[in-house]
Amino acid sequence: MNSPPLVAPIFPAGKEPLPPGLTDEDREQLMQAKKYQDWMSIGMESCATKSIFAGGGGFAIGAFFSLMSSSFAYEDPLLRQNLNTRQKASEIFKEMGRGMWRSGKGFGKVGALFAGIECVIESYRARNDMVNPIAAGFVTGGILARNAGPRAAFGGGLAFAAFSAAIDLFLRRETSDED
Amino acid sequence: MSFLGRSGSSSSNGINQERVDMAIQELDMITDVFNRLVSSCHNKCVNTRYAEGDLNKGESVCIDRCVAKFFEVNKKVGEKLQNMGAAASGG
Repeated sequence: MNSPPLVAPIFPAGKEPLPPGLTDEDREQLMQAKKYQDWMSIGMESCATKSIFAGGGGFAIGAFFSLMSSSFAYEDPLLRQNLNTRQKASEIFKEMGRGMWRSGKGFGKVGALFAGIECVIESYRARNDMVNPIAAGFVTGGILARNAGPRAAFGGGLAFAAFSAAIDLFLRRETSDED
Repeated sequence: MSFLGRSGSSSSNGINQERVDMAIQELDMITDVFNRLVSSCHNKCVNTRYAEGDLNKGESVCIDRCVAKFFEVNKKVGEKLQNMGAAASGG
């Protein structure tokens, strides 16, 4: 449990050395706490959690980009003539919110799909190398373009695979030794 | 009384000595298996390019499988050895 590192687990179960400052009565509590901690770490490293976090991050990025791009939005000035200033402003903000939601959904879908598929592929292969993001990108691109026909799905898969390969090459680059 | 005490303590010392030896041997075996296991699974699973300190998902999965396979192999080889020994002694 808390034996010194690099040493074989030689203590009989239930008699491992306690961390300093704790008594034998706390052992039960310690085991409980350790059990919950282990579950937490397993949960944090699972594919579902990674997919959810990536989806949330994608949603946030999509909403932010949409918010920024809504400042460049132009529209017909004759569109909302009969409303006063306050109503016009509220209409415009609602439009912004709808755009943010739509764009966030799209990016969130992409992020969640890619992260989930990459995690599943990596769990299956039990290796961490460049093949995982490329394959995950291909599958994600294919899924995202599935409604446009097989050729478009294939092309979309290739494009997304190339894009994710570029990103992962950047993420895995050799950083300088002086940090 | 001292004679009784001495004989009693010496006989109990003799049993204790055997058990101590067995315990030492078992400890040595466990430590040896542990060291081999850690060494071989580390060589097989962990990439030599250390980009970060934590284990990746792929590496953790690999280590889980490596440990399970190690024990499986141990068990199978032990069974075969036992069968060979039984055949040799029986036949």
